[in-house]
Amino acid sequence: MDVFSPKERLLRTLNKQKVERPPVICPGGMMNSAIVDIMNKTGHTLPEGHKTPELMTALATDVMENTGFENFGVPFCMTVEAEVLGSEVNFGSLECEPKIQKEKYPSVDKVDFLPPGMMSKAPRVGTVVDTLYRLSRSNPDIPAIGSLTGPMSTAASLVDPMPFLKQLRRDKENSHKVLDYVSGHLIEYARLIAENGASVISIADPTATGEILGPKMFEEYAVTYINKVVDAIHELGLPVIVHICGKMESVKPQIAMLHGDAISVDAFVSLKGIKREIPDATTMGNLSTILLQFGNPEKVEKTAELLVNDKIDIIAPACGLSTSTPLANIQAFTGTVKGR
Amino acid sequence: MNRLYTELAQAVAGMDETAAERLAEEIVRQGLPVSEALEKGLEAGMEEAGRLFENEEYFITELLLCADAMDAAMKVFTPLLKTSGKPAKGRIVIGTIFGDTHDIGKNIVALMLTGAGFDVLDLGRDVSAERFADEAVRFDADIIAVSTLMTTTMNNIRAVIDVLCRRGLRDRFRVIIGGKPCSKSFADKIGADDYSASAPAALRLVKRIMREKYAE
Repeated sequence: MDVFSPKERLLRTLNKQKVERPPVICPGGMMNSAIVDIMNKTGHTLPEGHKTPELMTALATDVMENTGFENFGVPFCMTVEAEVLGSEVNFGSLECEPKIQKEKYPSVDKVDFLPPGMMSKAPRVGTVVDTLYRLSRSNPDIPAIGSLTGPMSTAASLVDPMPFLKQLRRDKENSHKVLDYVSGHLIEYARLIAENGASVISIADPTATGEILGPKMFEEYAVTYINKVVDAIHELGLPVIVHICGKMESVKPQIAMLHGDAISVDAFVSLKGIKREIPDATTMGNLSTILLQFGNPEKVEKTAELLVNDKIDIIAPACGLSTSTPLANIQAFTGTVKGR
Repeated sequence: MNRLYTELAQAVAGMDETAAERLAEEIVRQGLPVSEALEKGLEAGMEEAGRLFENEEYFITELLLCADAMDAAMKVFTPLLKTSGKPAKGRIVIGTIFGDTHDIGKNIVALMLTGAGFDVLDLGRDVSAERFADEAVRFDADIIAVSTLMTTTMNNIRAVIDVLCRRGLRDRFRVIIGGKPCSKSFADKIGADDYSASAPAALRLVKRIMREKYAE
């Protein structure tokens, strides 16, 4: 029997308080669960749903009701931030998520530093925060999660990633300037999310992986700027989930330096291992999205049970879901965690 | 072996663009055979970089800088290659599948293949299945290499195989795939020939395929 509401359960977990069972969530953004099965069923579709608060609200509600995930999660992509700061976005289709068509700048020394206030003026930010306002007002028991693209990924969506990655070593001064600039705008966006009723903010930073950066640069850039954003969100009074993609062996000590309230990881990372090595970490994850896409409900249930048995604090998909994931697999996943 | 080759390999593996360019110029000035410098200098240097990457001493940013050093030397050698010609090791068309614009991993594979002396045509990102087929024919490729990072777009790779089958071209090319969500079992499932998990592994795979091809 459930004792807590989904919102209480998630907030208590993030606050390291006891709960009767783990929440099962999908925070949106990179981990978008607006799958084709649901959109075809309800008629609230993407890419239109990226653009108006009415449709975004309707689709986020469809997703929550159909999947069984115990939260709302918006937006449904990770292009909002870079678009506001100048990059060109392709909104994709029903089946395919939006993507950065072209990064605005060829290198870190060419970035125009737009003044503060860009986020609050941007229509796409308006759509997301208006949606969060509507969802949190009409569903006080369900946590509305605002998803942010992390500073490294936003910077790599603004500056062509190939020169960007090289300049992290070759032009540290301008790299830091760009990351500091991006973080400032992310904090502004986070403030709008917080002021409009979101319960939690989730930051996914897929460019900030151990495999891409290695421990030194992960610490110098990813830890520094993710923490800058996280600290600012904490000042706004909201808990933060941080999702880090990829293998983690090379950056385990750096993962422990992140200030987030929960750490969400990819499928091939052992969350049990993380719990052992960082005892006070609140762990989140990590059901394989490949299994969700290609497996069957029985296999999904078995794997979900393992996560529950391993006492993973927050149970969630391990990474971005394919939009062609069968709804039945997601339902098997959430149903298992809820004990049905 | 000429010590200039060893030093060139070290400059590439050590991410030293300036030294790589200087050594390449010295090799040319001394009239040493460029094909040997490519193999014992650049290829050996990138192989060492790949080894450091697999040992987790290097990460993707370091590999990119090694490739820059390789490029700096290559620029010195290229004008000479055009006149002397070089033996074809294999021709590869590579790209990120349509729907996906993530191309860092694909770029690194392309760089390592180029460094190892293969002829590489990089189609970029968000590449349609038809374009993979068209360009592979036009380029007279041995191998089509398709990459994706996203679970949503991994299924699109199947379209490349479908187009090749529909046009009766499937047997003409080996199709290899890579990228985070891919696996050998996924490659088998969609009818691709093979898969590799990393850029150094992709290089080994391409070498193996080309060896098999010439052994036939």
